[in-house]
Amino acid sequence: MRAATLEGTPSRPADLLRPARRTGTAPPPGGRCASVLPMMIDVPMLLPAILALHAVVAVPLPPLVRRLGPRAFLLAGVPPAVSAVWALAQAPAIVAGRAATAEVAWAPALGIGLNFRVDALSLAMIVLVSGIGAVIFCYCAAYFHHGERGLGRLAAVLVLFSGAMLGVVTTDNLFALYVFWELTSVTSFLLVGHDDRKEQARRAATQALVTTAGTGLLMLIGFVMLGHAAGDYSISGLVADPPDGGPWLTVALVLVLAGAFGKSAQVPLHFWLPGAMVAPTPVSAYLHAAAMVKGGVYLVARLAPGFADADLWRWLVLGFGLATMLVGGWRALRQDDLKLLLAYGTVSQLGFLVLLGGAGTQVAGVAMIAMLLAHGFFKSALFLTVGIIDHQTGTRSISRLTGLGRRMPVLAVAATLAAASMAGLPPLVGFVGKEAALEAFVPGAAPAPGPEGSAVMLTGLVLGSILTFAYSARFVWGAFADKSTVSERGFRRPSAAFVAAPVALTAVSLGLGLAPALADPLAQGYAHDLPAGHHAYHLSLWHGITLPLLLTGLVIAAGALMFVRRRAVSRLQNRMPRWPDAEYGYHLFVHGVYSVALSVTRRTQSGSLPVYLGIILATMLLLPGARLAAGLITGEIAVPGVQGAFRLWDSPLELLVAAVVVVTTIATVREHRRFPALILLSVLGFGIAGLFVLHGAPDLALTLVLVETLTTIILVFVLRRLPTTFSVRPNGWAKRLTVLLCAAAGTFIALALWLMTAARTDAPISQGYTERADEAGGDNLVNIILADFRALDTLGEIVVLATAAVAVASLVLLNRRNRVVDEPAAEVAVEAEEEARLSAAAEEHADSVAAHAAAEPALGQGQAPARGAGAEAGEAEMTVRGTAAGPEGAGGESRAEAVGGGPGGGEPAEGGPAGGPRPRPADAPGDAADPGPAPPDPGDTPADSADPPPDPRETPADPDDHEGSDDGRP
Amino acid sequence: MNALLAIPFVVPLLGAALALLLRRHRRVQAGVAVATLAVVVADTALLLAATADGTVLTSQAGDWEAPLGITIVADPLAALLLAVSSVVLLVVQLYAIGQDIGGLSRAMPQVFHPIYLVLTAGVCLSFLAGDLFNLFVGFEIMLTASYALITQAPTRARVRASMIYTVVSLTSSILFLTGIALVYGLTGTVNLADIAVKLGSAPAELRMVLALLFLVVFGIKSAIVPMHFWLPDSYPVAITRISAIFAALLTKVAVYAIIRSQTLLFGRDDISTVLLCVAIATMLVGIFGALVQDDINRLMSFALVSHIGFMIFGLGVNSVAALAGVVIYLVHHIVVQANLFLVNGLIRQYVGHSSLRSMRGLTTVSPVLALYFFLPAMSLAGIPPLSGFVAKVALFQAGVGTGGWLVYTALAAGVVTSLLTLMAIFRVWARGFWGTPMPDMVEARERLKRGSHLGGLKFMAVMTGVMVVFGVAIAVCAGPLSEVAFTAAHGLMNGSAYIEAVLGSDTR
Repeated sequence: MRAATLEGTPSRPADLLRPARRTGTAPPPGGRCASVLPMMIDVPMLLPAILALHAVVAVPLPPLVRRLGPRAFLLAGVPPAVSAVWALAQAPAIVAGRAATAEVAWAPALGIGLNFRVDALSLAMIVLVSGIGAVIFCYCAAYFHHGERGLGRLAAVLVLFSGAMLGVVTTDNLFALYVFWELTSVTSFLLVGHDDRKEQARRAATQALVTTAGTGLLMLIGFVMLGHAAGDYSISGLVADPPDGGPWLTVALVLVLAGAFGKSAQVPLHFWLPGAMVAPTPVSAYLHAAAMVKGGVYLVARLAPGFADADLWRWLVLGFGLATMLVGGWRALRQDDLKLLLAYGTVSQLGFLVLLGGAGTQVAGVAMIAMLLAHGFFKSALFLTVGIIDHQTGTRSISRLTGLGRRMPVLAVAATLAAASMAGLPPLVGFVGKEAALEAFVPGAAPAPGPEGSAVMLTGLVLGSILTFAYSARFVWGAFADKSTVSERGFRRPSAAFVAAPVALTAVSLGLGLAPALADPLAQGYAHDLPAGHHAYHLSLWHGITLPLLLTGLVIAAGALMFVRRRAVSRLQNRMPRWPDAEYGYHLFVHGVYSVALSVTRRTQSGSLPVYLGIILATMLLLPGARLAAGLITGEIAVPGVQGAFRLWDSPLELLVAAVVVVTTIATVREHRRFPALILLSVLGFGIAGLFVLHGAPDLALTLVLVETLTTIILVFVLRRLPTTFSVRPNGWAKRLTVLLCAAAGTFIALALWLMTAARTDAPISQGYTERADEAGGDNLVNIILADFRALDTLGEIVVLATAAVAVASLVLLNRRNRVVDEPAAEVAVEAEEEARLSAAAEEHADSVAAHAAAEPALGQGQAPARGAGAEAGEAEMTVRGTAAGPEGAGGESRAEAVGGGPGGGEPAEGGPAGGPRPRPADAPGDAADPGPAPPDPGDTPADSADPPPDPRETPADPDDHEGSDDGRP
Repeated sequence: MNALLAIPFVVPLLGAALALLLRRHRRVQAGVAVATLAVVVADTALLLAATADGTVLTSQAGDWEAPLGITIVADPLAALLLAVSSVVLLVVQLYAIGQDIGGLSRAMPQVFHPIYLVLTAGVCLSFLAGDLFNLFVGFEIMLTASYALITQAPTRARVRASMIYTVVSLTSSILFLTGIALVYGLTGTVNLADIAVKLGSAPAELRMVLALLFLVVFGIKSAIVPMHFWLPDSYPVAITRISAIFAALLTKVAVYAIIRSQTLLFGRDDISTVLLCVAIATMLVGIFGALVQDDINRLMSFALVSHIGFMIFGLGVNSVAALAGVVIYLVHHIVVQANLFLVNGLIRQYVGHSSLRSMRGLTTVSPVLALYFFLPAMSLAGIPPLSGFVAKVALFQAGVGTGGWLVYTALAAGVVTSLLTLMAIFRVWARGFWGTPMPDMVEARERLKRGSHLGGLKFMAVMTGVMVVFGVAIAVCAGPLSEVAFTAAHGLMNGSAYIEAVLGSDTR
């Protein structure tokens, strides 16, 4: 949406934004457009501007809320109101089949574009998203208190959410749909976690996000696959001309449905929705009743005309939808918290909507639109009612509420009507929708899903409706009835403005129920694209004495019985074995991920430099090395002929030099003392210089001799500060493996060099240098290469040397001024203390997580995820364990010095001053920085996999590390 | 010699020399450093404009024609990466200057500025090198500067980390040099275009050996699994600005080298299977590492490793769309990583450390900081509409378009990685940013507000904000960016334009 703003603005800045702002008061310009251009199929749309308006309004909201208090929510309600008014003004054209479209280019090369298309389905959704949204913003102004924490942020994010949701339901591009979809996930994360000081809110928010964003990612892949199969990422194009089947198309559909089911809380992904009820009630009413959770329903309904014929699609949608409807209804029956009752009721209704939306017949389509609207209005009204009850009495627990019906009659009547709509009683819109839904599955009335399937579905729907009736009755009774066993609580009368919102929403329920003809065109407009049944179906209160009507009678009777015998029902529920809990699955997943992560990281991140180098060599042998060997074995790499091209030496002296090199190499490796090793190393270097001499490059040899001499001298100075012997050397298997690895690497390089040189086809460019030497003005080839042909390289190498010099100088000078490294004793002590404090804090945290999780029942409705709590605590604990192992990790690094100080060339100059052998007081345990009598450590070798406990090596907080934390420079 | 091509590495070297001479005049030195980078930014922008249509600009150093002399080449890929990198370099430098003004760092600016400019030269030269040995020199300049930078404000931990970093880097350099020797042995040339031509007639198996060897060489520096371990042990320990620039650029230069070598030199050979397997391992191992970290910097370093896997994945898919995806991902990742590390630096300033265990309620402590973290973090996780989403979509499209079970496996790994990235990031958010702030955090904040550092701190925050805006701008400009990326990818897939530009049109 942000992109819409930014993208839209440059193309047509003024004319798009200005009219949109004006609409707050003036008659909708959209309507004018529609009337001025009735003949055009695509009405130029203000939609991108309206979307932008959401973002524009969100920015100044935080400061405004700070100044004006909750009243600023009225301003926040302007964008949704504009959107709703605009949509209603467009309605006549849209239901007549003229979809409104607009387009803002984004990344056409990738198929990502902000294309919008508003048809009947979108219109129905806009009514929910923006219409109900505007009402809820008004309600917010009364619900929240002045100066509440984070209120400005809440308002801004809520407006952004509203815009994102509007985008979801209006876009015509798969990627844009995903963009808005994930924006709703993220804004919902922030909204659910609004009260971020509660551990529970943080966890619920994360849970909701992981579920919806995780399934959203699957959906994205599904979209890419669909779009790839169709060659187009436009949704309308995809539905109008669905790609041919094939296994990947099936996979794509399953992935897309996974996204839809995650968002719309279908079993078994429904657990996040009740958890998300920690959000403030208006947020729940908006996100978790009216808007966000409908996203999945919308997507299913949107794609149904194109894909409902696929068997897999139909059975997935019908199966999961029905299961969700039943599970949700069953669990709603046993909630004590009114909000949770509604949450499970929402789960149930979402299942209902998904199966209607996915069924793919005209009657089901009509029913879907009717139920969509019905659910949006009654459920948000009920949520707002609970919000008022909670706000005025301080509780929403059925077992603590009594007598509210007498004290808030208006609210009670409104809520009862809304609940009646939920239960499917005439003359409310819920009844109209449910009649249509039952009609859709009367066997024989519609082509799909076949007579047997229809019978099963119909039975399921009736069962679901009975549960719905029962929990609706329980809600009304629980919220408003006089209960003799409960004593009345203190109570503040709600203001009229506060009650107005649920009353208004209920009025719409009633209005649409009494005049279903208002919603019928919309429903027909959507169902138009679906395969027709045997006869047209229109929304109406009265269809005559039909099977659905009789079934409704049955539902009412059975539901009423269930309510009257609620004790028996609840006993039955308690006796039922507990089902595997989906939330438990989530915790298992999280726990699994963290333990895998921990063990993987422990195994890979050993912290030992020799191991690292060993792995690098092993990788080299495994990739190019194995390839070379395989090529030689299969004969694909030709071995150069022995005759002619192959000669052992050019001069017998080479043999002598080679012997020197080999012997000194072996001796160096075997040497335990540093100084002799250094001398041997320099002898080796001189040997190589000898090779250069023999090949006629005395200047190269001279350079090498100089370098070797200098290096040796410098290293001798460094050695003064290092212990006389290498402290840690590989042993046993480790040693053998090291030797093997190094020998193999050397063999590989030598072999490769030989084979490559022998396989050369073209003359080397060095011949070109010889020819052009005159031009370069010199006769020493090496000189002119360095100083002319490749002068740039020489310059670069000089820069390298100069940089190294500056680097060393800065380190050495620093050290001399005693500004480095060796922390004074006091500071180290502080560090150790700090460490102790940290791990104590971490343990405390783990405990508190466990405690919070154990205290979960507050919202965990009695069957708290005790196992989940364990998992969560386990996660915390694992992290603690991981970090507690932190300080030990230093050991591996410090061992690096032993190696670096040896054959590492000039490098010890850097390592030297730092890794000095000075003993440190109060050293952390396991820090092997003192290279003194440290025992040989098997963990130091690349071979040994049975290391001492490797750790994920989290660096401990290092007081020295906080730039500026201790007032900057020392 | 085309000056446009020389400026990116010559001017920073001159600037470095000047900055070193001016080390006693802090302000002048900082001014010189900023001016130098500003010139580079302007120059690379011009380069990008000149090459965006697919033109390949070349310049022969010392006017020795290729393959005798050294060729400097700018194709759309190099120019795009140069342009983005130079902006990031400039912003990070300004951030550093802000930190120095505030006296908030122990780094010595007099050393920092010259070496930072040398690093810049190395990065630019690596992108522009049209010659294998010159690429090595570019790497060496960059790495030597990085050895110096990683020990800025030395502590015991930093020197230790620098040991691992330096030794591993030197190992990769030695292998690089060996590889050059092998290439010269086989082809008798080091000019990239010339190698590409001559490798055509070389035995296929030997070519393959070289391709794999160079994958290992550059793989070490780009931290692909199983050669990644050095990165999380060294980057996070350096001071913020250094970690930021290392995380943003150094690994990406190496990825660029992988792309360049595997497409131009070894494009005929198919090492997709290896690349895809490596990509899967890199994505998963990296993100698993990120999930269990306590230190935010370390967490981000593991995430960095993980997301290198996405780029290798694109290279393994090996189609124009995939390479375009890689290019977009590179650009996205450079900015987002720099951004996250800069934010981590700000967090350290505010809180005094970067350990999640003792961090709560950062949103309360500083809402702006929260926003600065939230946007790039979401971008990293690929949440739309930010740049990470665009990059990921491009890669996913390419993957689906190519198909095959290994590609789908890698795609699945990519999806899992995205989800786990999200989990890792929101773990940071839920633990560090939400909740009741710890009393010492509030105190630290108050102290900071009253202290004399405020100006510098504000400047750092502004620069971080600039980087955030840059990241968002990349998402907004996804259209033009993807155009350039596709042009670059076409150029990579079909190396003839590059080769002709370097060697002349009659070579093939």
